[in-house]
Amino acid sequence: MTTPILEIRNLHARIEEREILKGVNLTIPAGQVHAVMGRNGSGKSTLSYVLAGKEDYEVTEGEILLNGENILEMEPAERAVAGIFLAFQYPIEIPGVATMTFLKAAMNAQRKARGEGELSTPDFMRAVKEAGAQLNIDADMLKRPLNVGFSGGEKKRAEILQMALLKPTLCVLDETDSGLDIDALQVVSKGVNALRADNRSMLVITHYQRLLNHIVPDVVHVFSDGRIVESGDKDLALQLEAKGYADFDGAAA
Amino acid sequence: MRQTMPVRLGAAEDTLIAQLKSVGADATAERITVAGLPTRRVESYHYTDLKTLLRSIPPLAQAANEASAPALRVPGAYQLMIANGVIQSASTAPAGVIVGKAAGGVLTTRDDVLVHLNGAFARESLTLTLENSVDPVIQIDRRSEGEAAHVADSLKVFVADGASAVILETFSGSDAAHVGNHATYMVLGKNAVVTHITIDLSPRSASHFASNEYHVGEGAKLRTLVIHAGAGLARTQLFPRYEGAGAHGDITGLNLVVDGQHADITMDASHAVPHTSSQPLFKSVARGRGKAVVQGKLVVARDAQKTDAKFMHQGLMLSDEAEILSKPELEIYADDVVCGHGSTCGKLDEDSMFYLTSRGIPKDQAETMLVRGFIEELVDPIEDEALAEALHGIVDGWLLGK
Ligand SMILES: Nc1ncnc2c1ncn2[C@@H]1O[C@H](COP(=O)(O)OP(=O)(O)O)[C@@H](O)[C@H]1O
Ligand SMILES: [Mg+2]
Repeated sequence: MTTPILEIRNLHARIEEREILKGVNLTIPAGQVHAVMGRNGSGKSTLSYVLAGKEDYEVTEGEILLNGENILEMEPAERAVAGIFLAFQYPIEIPGVATMTFLKAAMNAQRKARGEGELSTPDFMRAVKEAGAQLNIDADMLKRPLNVGFSGGEKKRAEILQMALLKPTLCVLDETDSGLDIDALQVVSKGVNALRADNRSMLVITHYQRLLNHIVPDVVHVFSDGRIVESGDKDLALQLEAKGYADFDGAAA
Repeated sequence: MRQTMPVRLGAAEDTLIAQLKSVGADATAERITVAGLPTRRVESYHYTDLKTLLRSIPPLAQAANEASAPALRVPGAYQLMIANGVIQSASTAPAGVIVGKAAGGVLTTRDDVLVHLNGAFARESLTLTLENSVDPVIQIDRRSEGEAAHVADSLKVFVADGASAVILETFSGSDAAHVGNHATYMVLGKNAVVTHITIDLSPRSASHFASNEYHVGEGAKLRTLVIHAGAGLARTQLFPRYEGAGAHGDITGLNLVVDGQHADITMDASHAVPHTSSQPLFKSVARGRGKAVVQGKLVVARDAQKTDAKFMHQGLMLSDEAEILSKPELEIYADDVVCGHGSTCGKLDEDSMFYLTSRGIPKDQAETMLVRGFIEELVDPIEDEALAEALHGIVDGWLLGK
C-alpha cells in the first residue's frame, strides 16, 4: 500500500488550557480531495492551524504524518518546505511589503531549503504572470502591499495564487468560499481544481455545501466538537445541507 | 538670602568650558559653569540626560588631512563635503545652485545647549542658494575624520519661491569617539517644495548631535526624514516654523537602535500663522537594550487658527529589554484648530509572523520583512529612485546587523 499524503492519528490539541481538538483521525491518500464540514466553533480552523504549526496550540496527544513523516516537531517554515500549504480563512495584511516581493521571497526560501537555486527574475515573472492570469490577478494588484486593502475576493484569489506558485503536496483550504460572491467563487474553484493532481491532496474546510458543487470532494467528513463524527461520499454534504448538523452530532441546532 | 548651589561639573563640562573660553565664547562658558549640561530635570532633555550620557569631550577638531570612505553614495547626486568643520572645495554646481560661505553659525538663538555650542564653535557655514528647481539630489557629506574630535559645522540653505529640491545630509567619519554638533538652517520660499533627509552613519563610538531649523513660507511644502543608524548617542532636534498660510510639513524620522545605543529625535514645531498644517510621523525600532526617544511638541500661536497638526510615534520592540519612549506635547493658544497626538508601541505581530513563515520563509527573514514593512511608510514618499534604494540599503544593513 502506498503511503497516504496525510495521516492524522488521535490528535488532541489545546489552547490556553482549553481542549479544542479531541481525537481527530483522518487519512487522505495521494490525489484525493477530502472535505471537512462542521458548525462554527467546532474546531475546523484549529485543525488547519495545528497542521500548519501555529505556536499558540499545544498538541497533547497523537500524530500528524505527512508522507509518512511526523511533522509535529517542525516549525511552520519547515512544514511549508515539506509540502503543507494553508489557505487562510482570514489572510493577514502585511503593510509595506509588496505582494510581488513576498511571493519571490517565499518561492526562493522554499527552493533554497530544498537545495535548489534561486529563480531568475524572468522565470519568476513568467510563473507569476501565468498563474495570475488564471485567477484574474494583474500586475497592479501584485504591486500593492500584501493583502492590504484587498477585497474579500482578492484576498482569496491571492491565497490560491500562492498555492499555485508554491506547488504544495497538501493543500489545506480554510473556508475559502467565505466572503465570495458567485463569480469569485467560480474563479477560485477553477484555480483550485486546476491544482488537483495525482501527487497532491487537499483538505477543504467549509461551512456550506455550496463550495463542494465546484470543488467536488472524494470524501466528506462531518466535524463536531473537535473530532470527525461521520464520513461518507459527496452526497453526505447534501444530506447535511438538507437536515442540518443536529442529526449528525446530536447537539441542538 | 537665597543662595544658588553651584552644580558639580564633570570632565565633559570642564573640557567644554575650556574650549568655549579658547574661542572667546565667554557667555556660553558661563552658562555651562552655572547650569552644567542638562540633566533629566530639564524638560526637553528628560529622556536624554546629557550630563550622564556625555562623559568626555574630545579636543576641538583640526582640519582633516585624510578622509574615510564615503558612507553613502547616491548615483547622480551633486556632492559637497564639510570635513571637521571645514568646507571642502566642490565640483561645479548644477544650474540654479549658488554655493558660498559665511562666517560663524546659522541657528537662531534659543534656550538650548546644543544650539549654543554650535553657535560658539562653528567657524564657517556652507551656504546654498537654490534659485530654481534643482533636479539632482544635493548631498552634503559631513565628516568627522582622524583622531577623536569635537566637530561643529553649519549649513544654511535658501530655497527660492517656487523652487524644489531634494537635500540629503550624511554624517560619518573615522572610527573614533567624535562628538559632532551640526546645524542646518533652511528657508523655504513661497510654494517651495523641499525634501530634507539627514542620516547619521557615524561609528558607534561617536556622539552625534544635530539641530535643524526650518522656516516654511506661504504654500511651501517640507518633507524631512531623520535617520539615526550610527552613533552610540544621537540626538536630532527639529525646529520647524510654519510662517505662511498653506505651509505644510511632513516631518518624519526613524530611530534604529541596538544594544547600548541611545537615539533621540526631538521636534519643537511652531505654527505661527493661520492655515498651516503638519503631519509629524516618527518610528523607532529597538533591539537588545537599545533606547529610542521621540519628543514632539506642537506650539500653535494665538492667531494661528485652522492649524491642522497631528504628531504620531510608532515603536517596534525587537527585544524585551529595549526601551522606546514617547513624549508628545501640545501648546495651543488658538481655539479653532485640529491638533492631536498618538503613539503606539508593540512587538512584531505574531499572526503576521505565522503567515509569512507558513509560506516557508524562515523566521529571521520574516522578521526582516516585517520590520522593513513597518519602516516603508517613511521611505515610500521619497520619489528619487536611486535615493530610495540607498535608504533601503541603510535599513537592510541595519537589519542584517552591519
Ligand atoms: N485563541 C483562542 N483562545 C481561546 N479559544 C479559542 C482561540 N481560538 C479559537 N478558540 C476557540 O476554539 C473553538 C474552535 O474555534 P475554530 O477552530 O476557529 O472553529 P471553526 O473554525 O470550526 O469555526 C471555538 O470555541 C473558539 O472560541
Ligand atoms: Mg474557522
